[in-house]
Amino acid sequence: MSEVILELRGVHKSFGRAGAKPVLTGVDLAISRGRVLGLLGKNGAGKTTLLKCALGLMRMSAGTATIFGEDSWNLSAEAKARIGYVPQKLEFQGWLKVRQTLAYFGSFYPRWNGVLVELLRERWELDAEARVGTLSAGQVQKLGLLVAMGHEPELLVLDEPAASLDPEARRAFLAAVVDIAADWRRTVILSTHLTSDLERVATDIVILKNGTVFYDGAMDDLKESVRSLVVTSDRALPSRADIPGVLAYEIMGNHAVITLAGVTPSLVDELERTYKADVEVRDLTLEDIFVEMHRG
Amino acid sequence: MDSRFRFHVFPSTGTPIYRQLMEQVKFQVASGRLAAGDILPSVRDTAQDLEINPMTVSKAYSLLEREGVLTRDRGMGMRVSARTVRGNVRERKDELKALLRDVVVKAHQLGFMANEVIEQLRPMLEEMEKPNVRG
Repeated sequence: MSEVILELRGVHKSFGRAGAKPVLTGVDLAISRGRVLGLLGKNGAGKTTLLKCALGLMRMSAGTATIFGEDSWNLSAEAKARIGYVPQKLEFQGWLKVRQTLAYFGSFYPRWNGVLVELLRERWELDAEARVGTLSAGQVQKLGLLVAMGHEPELLVLDEPAASLDPEARRAFLAAVVDIAADWRRTVILSTHLTSDLERVATDIVILKNGTVFYDGAMDDLKESVRSLVVTSDRALPSRADIPGVLAYEIMGNHAVITLAGVTPSLVDELERTYKADVEVRDLTLEDIFVEMHRG
Repeated sequence: MDSRFRFHVFPSTGTPIYRQLMEQVKFQVASGRLAAGDILPSVRDTAQDLEINPMTVSKAYSLLEREGVLTRDRGMGMRVSARTVRGNVRERKDELKALLRDVVVKAHQLGFMANEVIEQLRPMLEEMEKPNVRG
């Protein structure tokens, strides 16, 4: 299960003239077969740029990207046929029917699983005879997913797939992603700025902040190991916390909130002794963690 | 297929989903709603029903299997194990003591006295000793 499907090393990307603020400043990332990776970041954090560089759709300024062991920029036709990509903005011909659109895209691929596409189309309640121009945003997203999945790609990359959907359609769409994940050989990368999109489906979380990877780990580990410590001391607390794994540190005189990975009872004891402090440990939700990581 | 058993999860809490699933199975086994030999819903059905990743369900089942709560029955899925007692008396007593120490510390922090704790505990223990009542 540990075969690496996609790997990025030291990816940098700047746009325009020299001196412009770079979008990506050294991203390292690896995803193994069968995982569902949630790429989380605020709007403008560089998620789309990262995905495009990873897929070889955009030249990176420095660094390397490989998919199935091949250089992303020079992917073979075979490798490309094993990838499905749903961009943020989908463009279809409005006057074509859903059925015709699927047939059109299917004709590009030597191996197109029409049976699977029909099965999913029915399960997702997408009318084959509807004109694409009359579809809702959610239905267009589903059509995009069908088009990206008909050739049964091993790697499926979805860029903000649920962005234009209302909450109910989001749930339905994410249930569709679960359908895909149910086939464990498949690897999914899903970018979003909403933590709620990832809580049910992602196995791994990567948080992108200021063009670099701020957190990378399994979802369960994130929830189990990242905690906030509310420290109240008799004496002034240092302005910097010299503790490994600190993600956020907020200090107000004798009172501090430290968010860190790898909280252990002995660490709590040590803090209590060193600073003659009371330490309260708080569990965090994914959203709390995301918010904490963007403090300061 | 025993379809009485249904999971429910709260994905947005700080408790990982696989832990929530494990705790629900253990609770239902302890309370007798799940009896030895009962078959749990398949990984795929559970994942689709709850709209969660199948790997999460699989992780919960595998850990429950390792803990001896469930047994993998080839072709049938996961079954609730016959209640087995693992380890010798001393080991089990030590484990129980460790659990109770946590409860005692927490109860103390919440400001409860010993007799109040015991008062809360007694009906729970009695509930567990009752013969299984289903449905």
